[in-house]
Amino acid sequence: MIAVVFLLLLLAVAIFAAATGGQAVPVAEILGLTGVFLLFFGAGVYIAAVLGLLGILIGLTFSDRPWWAFAGQTLWGPSSNFVLVAVPLFLLMGEILLRAGLSDRLYRALNVWLNRLPGGLLHTNIVSCAVFSAISGSSVATAATMGSVALPYFNNSAYSQRMVLGSLAAGGALGNLIPPGITFIIYGLITETSVGALYIAALLPSILVTGLFILVILAHGWTHPLPRPERLPLALKLKALLDLVPTLLLMLLVLGSIYAGFATPTEAAALGVVGAAAFAAIEGKLSFRLLNASAEATARNTALLGLIIFGAYLLNYLLTAINVPQTLAGFIGGLPLPPWAIMACILALYLALGTFMEGFSMIITTVPVVFPIVTALGYDPIWFGVMVTMLVEIAQISPPDGTVMYVLQGMRPKPGPITDVFAGVMPFLAAYLLAVVLMMIWPGIALWLPKVMG
Amino acid sequence: MSGTEPGLLRGARALRGAVAWLAAGMAYLAGWNYVACALFITGDVVGRQFGYSSAATIEVTGYMLAAGIAWGLAHTLARRAHIRVDVWVNRLPLGLRAVLHLVSLLLLGSFAVFAAWAALELVDESLLFDAHDNSALRVPLVIPQGIWTFGILAFCVMIAVLALESVLSLLFGRAEELDRLLGSRTIDDEAAEALEAVEMAREGTAP
Amino acid sequence: QAPAALPPGPKVNVVAVTQPLPTQPQFTRVDVPVLREGLAQRSGGRIEVQLSTHAERNLSGTELVRLVRSGQADIAAATLTTLSGDVPILDGVDLAGLAPDIALAKRIAEAMLPVVNRDLERFGARLMVIYPFPAQVVFCRAGFTSLADLRGRKVRTFGNSLVDFFTALGAQPVSIGFPEVYSALERGVVDCAITGTGSGVAARWPEVTTHVSNLPVSWALAGYMVNVAWWNRLDPQVRAMIEGALREVNEKQWELGAAATRDGLDCAIGNAAACHIHTLSTRPMTEVPATPADQAALREILEKTVLPGFVRRCGARCGEVFNQVIAPVAGVRFGG
Ligand code: NA
Ligand code: NA
Repeated sequence: MIAVVFLLLLLAVAIFAAATGGQAVPVAEILGLTGVFLLFFGAGVYIAAVLGLLGILIGLTFSDRPWWAFAGQTLWGPSSNFVLVAVPLFLLMGEILLRAGLSDRLYRALNVWLNRLPGGLLHTNIVSCAVFSAISGSSVATAATMGSVALPYFNNSAYSQRMVLGSLAAGGALGNLIPPGITFIIYGLITETSVGALYIAALLPSILVTGLFILVILAHGWTHPLPRPERLPLALKLKALLDLVPTLLLMLLVLGSIYAGFATPTEAAALGVVGAAAFAAIEGKLSFRLLNASAEATARNTALLGLIIFGAYLLNYLLTAINVPQTLAGFIGGLPLPPWAIMACILALYLALGTFMEGFSMIITTVPVVFPIVTALGYDPIWFGVMVTMLVEIAQISPPDGTVMYVLQGMRPKPGPITDVFAGVMPFLAAYLLAVVLMMIWPGIALWLPKVMG
Repeated sequence: MSGTEPGLLRGARALRGAVAWLAAGMAYLAGWNYVACALFITGDVVGRQFGYSSAATIEVTGYMLAAGIAWGLAHTLARRAHIRVDVWVNRLPLGLRAVLHLVSLLLLGSFAVFAAWAALELVDESLLFDAHDNSALRVPLVIPQGIWTFGILAFCVMIAVLALESVLSLLFGRAEELDRLLGSRTIDDEAAEALEAVEMAREGTAP
Repeated sequence: QAPAALPPGPKVNVVAVTQPLPTQPQFTRVDVPVLREGLAQRSGGRIEVQLSTHAERNLSGTELVRLVRSGQADIAAATLTTLSGDVPILDGVDLAGLAPDIALAKRIAEAMLPVVNRDLERFGARLMVIYPFPAQVVFCRAGFTSLADLRGRKVRTFGNSLVDFFTALGAQPVSIGFPEVYSALERGVVDCAITGTGSGVAARWPEVTTHVSNLPVSWALAGYMVNVAWWNRLDPQVRAMIEGALREVNEKQWELGAAATRDGLDCAIGNAAACHIHTLSTRPMTEVPATPADQAALREILEKTVLPGFVRRCGARCGEVFNQVIAPVAGVRFGG
């Protein structure tokens, strides 16, 4: 609802600007298109179809060129782009690891170390999600994997169900922020920014967000104390560390191969797949059935993203052909507002869109339009990439629509209303937003490491 | 209820089942193609250390991605996994909801037909140019683009048979079946899948 | 002769997509002042050029002939080797080692313009201008004194003739997408990479490499195409004025190509006094001067490897065209 109000406000500003600017802006057509767009969304039309058909309508309305004669090339370009190859590879790696049972061992190992803190097992939820994120590039995969492992531990426990679900959702929303991440790859592709630099820039912000989450749980733990479990002997705790080794090795393989000059970020994803399969083989789990199921899931999730890319690129081609991004960038850049205020508006727009849009579709439809504005305002592309990723992650856990929350809701052993998830995620959402504000005030949180390492 | 099921609807369902089966086959191929892709790139990275590189990795893996996306489209639709914004539609009464499902499918269909037409035109243009890529293999573009186009065409066929079955369901007053056929995956579907995967991970492990 | 002014008449909107990036001097110093501002001013506002770059239009550069053919753009510019997948003969204008200096590159380009247009016009496009980017030179992250030192090193290349060239040198061509080259050089995924002197500086390669050769391996020749149907439909006076502007573009791009080649090197090695077009490198590089042995090796590889490779890909007819048109200018014949 916030989003609709916000969009209408934006439209009003655009009309006002057009009226005072004296230029002939086709207001009726723009209004009509916005109406069609909203109607489509309300009717539950497929996102890809909304984007694609909107593109076709814009072409028919505004373009005097035979744009359809270039549509095949417009769809083929991104479909066959090497940089995007990393996306199915990261998905495949996650699917194999999930089925090989890495996540269970990870959770148990961390649990031994964290369960005596105030807030207990809830910390394990966050930290295990964070560690898993360092090998997986997808938030939904992170939440689904760690959620399915963690939820049984909370059966018949005294923990607040809301906090359990909230912490897992929040942990899942680290999946893309902690490198490697699919959002960064897409952002890098659209803006021609170095994915490697984005990964480095995301390190401190992701530590910041994880730290804030832990503070949220500590606060909850102090106000809702639970009996502590027995202290475990150190030998047992050290032995548990062994279970972390495969995860650390994979992290080393994926990120290490990039920084050691062995592979580019895209290629590192392929190494990750082979590493994950090797790990499954060591566990004695590598089978045709495992690979077959992982392959099918990867094909399905890649096709889902691919179809949205089709729609988004067609829309984007037509918007660019009629000069919308450039005009918009010029208009917003010329507003009598300081850059930070415009940036705050942009971030608010992402926040609003995020309440009802899926993160990936959001980034691919908005970044091409917003990016020229951001650079015109003098903001750093790397910093903005991290900000956008954080906002996409926030979108995943902002009610009422967020895939991560839906997946968790579906995995609850004991049924309950989805509002439990909504309520549980709220304190974490606030912490995430605080991190965004801190990044806005101190951009160095993202930019310092790339500068030092570059 | 099933005893009175009209033959026409049964036929349409059988047809949809057959197409969905073929689509699933294509999706498995698409998935294994990503496995091959990972091996190919890994081979290139490792080979580079020993002075060997295919000099066509970028292009060929790009084609593998394109084929993978296109060949997975139909199956993804059959599994109801393509993303829709359905916060509002799922709260509507069944009758209205069923109609909107069909409208959504038809709109998707028109976009898919446009995409398929555009893809065919692209292949045609590549034939006219006798176009090759700039890699060392000089792959004729008609081959990867043709494979890609075939996937999009299969997607159109899947939409067509789904639409046929939906229209018949609607005509015979079976809105519920249509809802089950086209409604978004419920949360239970998503969860069942994740749990199934975790189940696979637990197999053979001592409890 | 181009008219100095236009009589009043209907407005002409021209869509032009030129150059890979909006920051390149080829765009800011030539396209913007001549095509966008110059035409608008001289035509009294009648001709309005909507100018953008490949990056802004989400294009990779290989599809520009199709862009013009389908009427999405009236004028488009792209490097010839990237277009050669669609029109193979374009590769022959800019083979590795063909033109050791820019004057010869220009003479070859002028001789080939009408010839390649016979092929291009079948697709409804016509090349109006062929122009150079700064000389394509080798940047390495470790020292070298001659081309022979590159043996065994991993070199990021693009396009068939450069792949053939580095293979013949005994180097190992690696294919990596341009956005990933910076970090590939930084981390040592590749040892060397080839690009224009100025382009390398603009992509901040001096931060991740130490040595740069001044031997032009090729020129990344590029061309401005027009859609033939659109061109023929234009009001003759408007057409004459645009043609005049394209002639001016031609002159300025060749001047820029020569100036930017040296400027890029000066910026790379930290020679602030001579660095005007590009930005000065914060980490000065070492310039590796070309030796007579390098020149000889370049010529030999061209004759033995690069040229036969081109004819193999493009067909026997291209060999004949090469011998008729380029051989008299360049002094190299296909088939001896
Ligand atoms: Na991640
Ligand atoms: Na959301």
